[in-house]
Amino acid sequence: MAARLRRARWLVYIYFRCLGQQMKAILAYEADFVILMISAALVQITGFLFIWTIFQRIPDINGWTFWQVVMMYSLVFITEGVGSLFFEGTWRVSRLIYNGNFDQYLLRPVSPIVQVLAGAVGFNGLGNIITGGMLMAISLGNVQVQWTPGRLLMLVILIVSAATIRVAINLGTAASAFWIKTPWSLVPFFVHQLGEFAKYPITIYSLAVQAMVVVAIPFAFVSFFPTAYLFNMEAWSAIGLLTPLVAVYCLFMAVTIFRIGLRRYESTGH
Amino acid sequence: MSSMPLIEARGLTKKFRQAVKEPGLVGSLKHFFTRQYRDKMAVDHIDLSVEAGESVAYLGPNGAGKSTTIKMLTGILVPTEGSLIVDGLVPYEKRQQNARNIGVVFGQRTTLWWDIPVIESFNLARDMYEIPVKRYKQNLAEFTELLGLAEFMNVPAGKVSLGQRMRADLCMALLHDPKMLYLDEPTIGLDIAVKDSIRKFIRRLVDERGTTVMLTTHDLGDIEDICNRIVIIDSGRIIHDGDLGALKDNYARDRVIHFQLARPPESMAAICAGLPACETTSDDGLRLSVRFDRFQYAAGEIAAAVMPHVEVIDFHIDEPEVEDLIRKVYLGQLSLTAPESTAEATESAVATGA
Repeated sequence: MAARLRRARWLVYIYFRCLGQQMKAILAYEADFVILMISAALVQITGFLFIWTIFQRIPDINGWTFWQVVMMYSLVFITEGVGSLFFEGTWRVSRLIYNGNFDQYLLRPVSPIVQVLAGAVGFNGLGNIITGGMLMAISLGNVQVQWTPGRLLMLVILIVSAATIRVAINLGTAASAFWIKTPWSLVPFFVHQLGEFAKYPITIYSLAVQAMVVVAIPFAFVSFFPTAYLFNMEAWSAIGLLTPLVAVYCLFMAVTIFRIGLRRYESTGH
Repeated sequence: MSSMPLIEARGLTKKFRQAVKEPGLVGSLKHFFTRQYRDKMAVDHIDLSVEAGESVAYLGPNGAGKSTTIKMLTGILVPTEGSLIVDGLVPYEKRQQNARNIGVVFGQRTTLWWDIPVIESFNLARDMYEIPVKRYKQNLAEFTELLGLAEFMNVPAGKVSLGQRMRADLCMALLHDPKMLYLDEPTIGLDIAVKDSIRKFIRRLVDERGTTVMLTTHDLGDIEDICNRIVIIDSGRIIHDGDLGALKDNYARDRVIHFQLARPPESMAAICAGLPACETTSDDGLRLSVRFDRFQYAAGEIAAAVMPHVEVIDFHIDEPEVEDLIRKVYLGQLSLTAPESTAEATESAVATGA
């Protein structure tokens, strides 16, 4: 047990060592870095303006007020940002597998999944995290919530869990490249687009869509259920407490899918 | 454990499933509905054992299964069938443990991080392989000197020349003192000076550190300078396994003796008649070449048979070149599994000339 814990700590260290090198490499091109960040923030602010406009006309969506929806938005932005900033590597997997460069991950005495996660840095994520953080702060300031230390702790746990779910979905879908041998596997992008559903209360969707974002690809646990818990939204609130469990489940599934895929790896190219 | 070979492969096989697809969009669409595949045997039940300290050249034409074998040995690929143990481990099952025992250099690819200075890649390797700091410093100092890395140590791998990159890759692969070094076309695309320094470096590694080396190459200089054993694979099967001398002795049966003549021979037929089972050719009338099986004739016998018919000014004998030898193996002109048939092949090709 102690040895496993030491190994896990070591892996985290290696992860940050690799990520740190990637950051250094990118920071060498300062202009790119600034442009990426600003453009990401602009995209998200446009989205925010969109719902703001809607709420100018209607008081609420299925009982959800503007600031509650903003909370969902902020969770989507923040988790998206964490995915890009710290785990951008998942988006490089299909390319690496396609041209056989994934080989080098298998030749090092470090878990290939850790190497995938640390494989790249997306500084646009910083723009998302900052915008999302600001929106979350404004939302929390505008909604009446009884803050207890427990609830505050839960907020942190929920954010971490939501980010874990998103990264796990990215990783699991990226593993599709082991089966679908094209330079850009569209599966991760397609699934990622489904994440758009997470920006609005799931009650507005048909049953099929609800089933999809709750059960199949649980984006609802990235934003909807955590928000429902935080703001004590009727029947949904209790389900929000399951978010950490869903995160563990997603991570387990993603790692399992990735490992199964790994056995199929054919190391194409030379 | 010590009595076991470092690499032990039995019936090692890798099948790839290839889509049977007609060209173009229509073909792709058809394939989508019919889903036809065929199996391609990249490596077909090979047996191979390599003892610690050996340096093995693993040769074969393109697509013969060299890289696939190396990728199974390194743990990148999971074999379809057969057993494989490298230094007591099944590589694909204990991939990370196996990685600590091996160093790998792919001539076509780098294991260095592209965007960061070479030295930072080395430092990352130190952390990933958990190399003791003292050992790391010793190795780094030694390799830096032997491979001349100092001048580009602080340049990102993406910005160094191919020769520099290969040298850095070699260093990268060896910092953790691997027992086994796999080299896949280590000198491809390099100029002669760099090739030479890399070969010397690897040879030194084998001699001084006892590192076991397995390399694939199309450059026969690599073999002669580094290796003491040659394994040839073709269409996924091993068709020769032995040392370089044995290859020459067993299979380079043909010799060619060239005569320079004072005047054209009166009758080629007469010469040919005296040399059955030889291939006799005369290009411009003043040169005469006889290809013979050296197990059947001595060079002197050939000369004795030719001399009465022509006036010889000069002659010389071609020794077999390794390159020539292996080219013939690739082309299937030499059947290595059944050396007897070589003589027959020569016989049936008895020449024309007259």
